[in-house]
Amino acid sequence: MAPITTASNETNHQALLDKLDIAKIQKPFRNPNFKAPQRRNKSVKQILSDASRREASLLTTQNNSGASTPMPVTPTEAGSLHPNPAQASQDLSRLVLEKNQKAAQTGPSVTYTSIAAAPSTRPKKRYCDITGLPAPYRDSKTGLYYHNKEVYAVIRGLSTAQIQEYLALRGAATVLK
Amino acid sequence: MVHYVVDIKPVSRRNSPKPAPKRLWTASDPPYDGYKPVDTTTYHTSTPDSAIVIDNGSSAVRAGWQFEQAPRLAFPPLMARYVDRKLNRKFCFIGSDLYADGTARGQAKNVYEPGSDIVNNWDAQEGVLDYVFIKLGLDGSRGAVDRPVVMTEPLANLGYARKVMSELLFELYGVPSVAYGIDSLFSYAYNRGHNGIVVSSSYMSTHLIPVMDSKPLLAHATRLDWGRCQSAEYLMKLLKAKYPTLPGKLNDTQVEDLVRQHCYVSQDYSRDSVAFLDWTGLEDRDVVVQMPFTERVEIQKTEEELARAAEKRKEGGRRLQEQAAKMRLEKLIRKEQELEYYKELQQKLAIATKKEAKALLDAEDFDDEAQLEKKMKEMDKSIRKARNKDVGDVEEIEEPPTYPLLDTPDEELDEEGLKQKRQQRLLKANHDARARAKAEKEREKSRLVEEERLDAEKRATNLEAWVEERRVERQAMIQRIKDRDRLKADLGNRKSLASQMRMKSIANLASDNPKKRRRGGDDDNFGADDADWGIYRAIATGDQSDDDDEEDLNAGLKNIEAQLLKYDPNFTEDSTRDAQTDWTKSLMHSFLRGAWPYDAENQKENNQFHLNVERIRVPEIVFQPALAGLDQAGIVEIAADMITQRLSDISGSGDLLKDIFLTGGNTMFKGFEERLQVELRAVLPAESTLTVRGAGDPVLDAWRGAAQWASTPSSRQAFITREEYMEKGGDYIKEHNLGNAYI
Repeated sequence: MAPITTASNETNHQALLDKLDIAKIQKPFRNPNFKAPQRRNKSVKQILSDASRREASLLTTQNNSGASTPMPVTPTEAGSLHPNPAQASQDLSRLVLEKNQKAAQTGPSVTYTSIAAAPSTRPKKRYCDITGLPAPYRDSKTGLYYHNKEVYAVIRGLSTAQIQEYLALRGAATVLK
Repeated sequence: MVHYVVDIKPVSRRNSPKPAPKRLWTASDPPYDGYKPVDTTTYHTSTPDSAIVIDNGSSAVRAGWQFEQAPRLAFPPLMARYVDRKLNRKFCFIGSDLYADGTARGQAKNVYEPGSDIVNNWDAQEGVLDYVFIKLGLDGSRGAVDRPVVMTEPLANLGYARKVMSELLFELYGVPSVAYGIDSLFSYAYNRGHNGIVVSSSYMSTHLIPVMDSKPLLAHATRLDWGRCQSAEYLMKLLKAKYPTLPGKLNDTQVEDLVRQHCYVSQDYSRDSVAFLDWTGLEDRDVVVQMPFTERVEIQKTEEELARAAEKRKEGGRRLQEQAAKMRLEKLIRKEQELEYYKELQQKLAIATKKEAKALLDAEDFDDEAQLEKKMKEMDKSIRKARNKDVGDVEEIEEPPTYPLLDTPDEELDEEGLKQKRQQRLLKANHDARARAKAEKEREKSRLVEEERLDAEKRATNLEAWVEERRVERQAMIQRIKDRDRLKADLGNRKSLASQMRMKSIANLASDNPKKRRRGGDDDNFGADDADWGIYRAIATGDQSDDDDEEDLNAGLKNIEAQLLKYDPNFTEDSTRDAQTDWTKSLMHSFLRGAWPYDAENQKENNQFHLNVERIRVPEIVFQPALAGLDQAGIVEIAADMITQRLSDISGSGDLLKDIFLTGGNTMFKGFEERLQVELRAVLPAESTLTVRGAGDPVLDAWRGAAQWASTPSSRQAFITREEYMEKGGDYIKEHNLGNAYI
């Protein structure tokens, strides 16, 4: 364990670490019976794809529930308890899904992806990939933009790896999948 | 009397040298800021409904009690949990504490995934919450955290993230009630904003949220995926591309500090970037950062030491010379003595009988008299030469050596005679060759002199043509230098034609049956023809290649340029190739090494890097994300779109422009406000009033806003209680003015 400063020596450092360590501190405010669900660390991409997959699967396995057809009210029935509770809950989830869908189609919904900014509609200004100055020229062989002939001389001397590095800054590198 | 004022042209128009850099910045130390003490008193004196306010940010987690002025804790959301093998002990460090130790630092896990502000690593989040509760002095006497918690979440937080967070808070920590809110809106409310557009540029993203009557129009809110984290990454990539050979490595915190310290927003990027690398004032704008380096120890001899060494050397030389002179003298004396002896011997021979003569000659190891004669003559000559050299008074009489035997035909001579004849032939050939060489040299010299004379004549008669000729020659030489450079560069590139040809010739040489067969027989007679060896010159590259050639070309060029300078009125110092490749006029040099000369051997300079255009390039990305390849609109465009299109049908949208509010750490760049103001002014309708203002404290106001909101009694309606959570599940959310809406 390397001490971070030259001032501290081994024992000092160990004492400091002991002080900072929270592994051995009691945490009585935690519920000891809590078990964290497995694989709860998900990235944004995973979360979004899970959600969309779930919705898609629900949709495809559903028939039209007939919730939109108006039902004649039967006064004879005492309560409106469905005889089969399992099917009732399924109906319920379907109804909720359809309601959500309708809402989604009609009103604006604010999801994480929907509020991401749209691409720009203004013409893009080109800047030199090497120096950052405005670039009136583009090298057809490598695709890099450059500012003047001096920078062009530098570009010609770059290796392929460096060229890809510069292109990656702009997001224009070739990515082989 | 007329006075003429002569224009004094400066001797050289080279840009003047600069003084040494004013300040060498260094990369920052890891941000370990000490042990945070545990405070238990506040907890015990607090009422059961004073909330713990946690601003769960991606750059820092800020936590404290709602009744405090500022968050008590502020630390980066990092956790390092590992087992130390040596001590066989579990370690767990949170926040800036882990910067105290190298191993911990290597094991750090961030709560957030880089590039997004959604919580990703829930174990780290647990650790962070543990740390917060410990430091706030919660004793957990009831087996749970028994204060309400206010937490911030990102705009349009994903349902999954909220669900897991609620699960943590309610089930693991047993919090009685929780409220979520958006940090930028908290900051806005704290700064007394009611109508406006909140521009919050923070660590992982930038949000624009229009707020009307204290209510956020979440449907029109937008997020740009760029913040200080991405800026720091971008700067790191830029530096790596700019200085590929820089030995030191920078880590994220250091780069972030560089961004914070040196970057600023320019008002007009295109113009400023070009002006940045201008020679005048470059040393003020250029930032030199020095990385740690080891100085190469060169034992510098002092002046006097050097002088003493030179003296010693001269002494030694002189002594040697003296010794040599003495030895020569001795040899000379000895030779003369020998000659004397031989002379005596000759005399003795003259008077001795044949047998005795033979005996005498044998004793001296001579075969016959002729040899003795020859030897004597040799010695005589050498003595005379030596004496001439040393003493220098006797002029040597050059007599053409005679070869009498060469003329006699072979049959007439005996064996002795034949040998002699051969020797004489050899001598004659030698002599002739030397004479020929001398004549050749003379001829060469006279030829050169003749040329020069002709040249001067031509110059005198027709200056124009001569100048023209010289210029053409100079061009040709420059072209040759360029070609040679290009050839060198080509040979470096593996795929070029020159390189492939070289490979072919090497393979040809090395193979057992070379492709070109000599006509008639295949014995390897490589090398018989002198031109064959030229192939080695062709395949030598780099260090092995002839450096003399380069020197010659350069020297030749200088020569011609000197002549042109002297005689051509139009050829000035500036036109010389030297001035044209001057580093002070070079854009790339200013870009890479600032305003000072670069010495490739100097270790100090090799470990430095310069930040010039990067200072304005990095913050520019929020305004022009296309710079970094991000396919999104800049904040100016987003704001303009928001006003003119999306909100145009809502009444009162013009009022929003009166209060454009900047918050978040990434807006603290110098020049951010002015730039935004100027650009928005340009795209918005002329009659609209536009004011841009910043938060009082862009970094901490979110927390303060949340604390202030928690203190208002009306906010409690927005808290979700534990019972509600148990009943309604993790997706349940209560909408309020400063929070997300249910999707």
